[in-house]
Amino acid sequence: MLYRTAGQFKISYKADHALFPVRQDAYLLGFVLLLAFVVFPLTASEFTFRALLIPVLIYSLAALGLNILTGYAGQLSLGTGAFMGVGAYACYKLLTIFPEMNIVIAIAMSGFFSAAVGVLFGLPSLRIKGFYLAIATLAAQFFLVWLFQKWAWLYNYNASGAIQVPNIDMFGITVAGPRATAMTQYYFVLGVVSVITLFAINITRGRIGRMWKAVRDMDIAAELVGINLMRAKLTAFFVSSYIVGVSGALFVFLWRGAAEANLFDIPLSFRVLFIAIIGGLGSILGNYLGAILIVALPVIVSTVPATFGIPIDSAMVEHLNVMIVGALIITFLIVEPHGLARFWAVIREKLILWPFPH
Amino acid sequence: MNQRPDHKQMTTPDDGIAAGAVLLDVRNVSLAFGGVKAITDISLNVKKGEIRAIIGPNGAGKTSMLNVINGFYTPQEGTITFRGKERRAMKSHEAVGQGIARTFQNVALFKGMSTLDNIMTGRSVMMKRNIVWQMLWHGPALNEEIEHREKVEEIIDFLEIQHIRRTPVGKLPYGLQKRVELGRALAMEPSLLLLDEPMAGMNLEEKEDMSRFIIDVNQQRGTTIALIEHDMGVVMDLSDRVVVLDYGKKIADGTPDEVKNNQDVIDAYLGVPHGEEMP
Repeated sequence: MLYRTAGQFKISYKADHALFPVRQDAYLLGFVLLLAFVVFPLTASEFTFRALLIPVLIYSLAALGLNILTGYAGQLSLGTGAFMGVGAYACYKLLTIFPEMNIVIAIAMSGFFSAAVGVLFGLPSLRIKGFYLAIATLAAQFFLVWLFQKWAWLYNYNASGAIQVPNIDMFGITVAGPRATAMTQYYFVLGVVSVITLFAINITRGRIGRMWKAVRDMDIAAELVGINLMRAKLTAFFVSSYIVGVSGALFVFLWRGAAEANLFDIPLSFRVLFIAIIGGLGSILGNYLGAILIVALPVIVSTVPATFGIPIDSAMVEHLNVMIVGALIITFLIVEPHGLARFWAVIREKLILWPFPH
Repeated sequence: MNQRPDHKQMTTPDDGIAAGAVLLDVRNVSLAFGGVKAITDISLNVKKGEIRAIIGPNGAGKTSMLNVINGFYTPQEGTITFRGKERRAMKSHEAVGQGIARTFQNVALFKGMSTLDNIMTGRSVMMKRNIVWQMLWHGPALNEEIEHREKVEEIIDFLEIQHIRRTPVGKLPYGLQKRVELGRALAMEPSLLLLDEPMAGMNLEEKEDMSRFIIDVNQQRGTTIALIEHDMGVVMDLSDRVVVLDYGKKIADGTPDEVKNNQDVIDAYLGVPHGEEMP
């Protein structure tokens, strides 16, 4: 009854093309945004920001980027971690060369570097599909991480081989570096993620989104309705890598504070891929649900015993963590192979009909 | 959705070809895949405003012929003249821009998308707003979307598929999928519509519906249609002219009555013992 859609009539196509044709969806999102923008910052501790809220947002953004490529355009990629690295290193170099540059502009621009690299490594997609393409992107993964290690110019020739985020101010407030407060960084990340998510929703529901889905579902038919496959696939690589690059820059500058080349190695790629798959390919909401499951759950699992005062040593917590999260992932995939987003969609459909399912 | 669409508005864009003049001219086309000759030296034409059927037994080269016409295959020999422009090779995504749309023998819809989105995809070529406008959505991109949505709703209304507008096409029964596919082709506003077995696997009622839609498309919208079909009753009733292929060669061409009484056609369909004396 909470989700009753009866009586909500659309009398123009404009109303039908609104972001939320069902009023309750808008209320729900409003509630989530209220939580994110007001309630969490008021209540969260430094630890919650750094271990839960910020990483969930950043991983969601990375998964959103990957989802556009894999879930919407159907091109499997295993190079997400490396593309995040390109964004991070590009941002680092931009801020080294132009120290006066506003960090928002630096992050926005670093996405273009990642996008360019993404398009370059997306070129094989014009010839190969599926697993073979995944292997080609895996090559990008190995090559780029190797480049991050060997090309000393990228990390300003410092002895450690790692990039270190300096204190960066924006309008008099420190947003990155050791001096920045967790709450500032959280708001910064939340702002960037919200704007990009809105843009991604708009792109995926319009002409370009349909074009991508057409390529994903049946590329021959897509070509014969006049879609230029090369352009469609490369646009997907561009947009996807842009978002992934931005998430990489946020990953280092607003969360980790420092990074070595091997941070962007294949485990990161897989982590983002898991988030996208478990959240639901071809869905925007899924990225958030997936990130909450993959990123937040381990933190919750490891802090729960401590809060109840059960003494477990940290190695044991680690092991339990891996086992519980792994079991949950398998359970979720068996119960709903199309991801958490579909899970929610089914619940929502049932709610709309409830309590009269016929 | 508050407006009743007027089907008379739906017309094929003027392509400068008078009714009855030759719209598509295929001349001496041969196509081979390695040693397999799919099409040997076939010439045929399609006149504006007619319904043209291509028939023949399995493996006769009918679908290959359609693929040549819309640029999916490039023939080794021969020329294709469409709307006065001659070409042999073209990229298949360019066919739509030239005014050729088609449906497939095995339904080739975008399974993960709704009926509405599938038909909207047919208008991709006509939508021009770039990615920046798409990102912002409000303003030009939304106006464009609504403008095309109105055209698509006309087609949905025409094909009587309003009730499945939001249904993912993967869940639809076969007959409806075929209809959605026709809708997607119509959304491209083609001058020439190629239908590859539009009635395959349908029951009698669905066939009657589909025949009605084909005639309506032809008469109300003035779209020229070339179709492949195995149901002889349908072919003979619908089409203005029929071309018969067998083993990649043209064996007959003419009105349904001429073709029906052609001895080569009867032989091809009923079979003659090759290389032996007839009893």
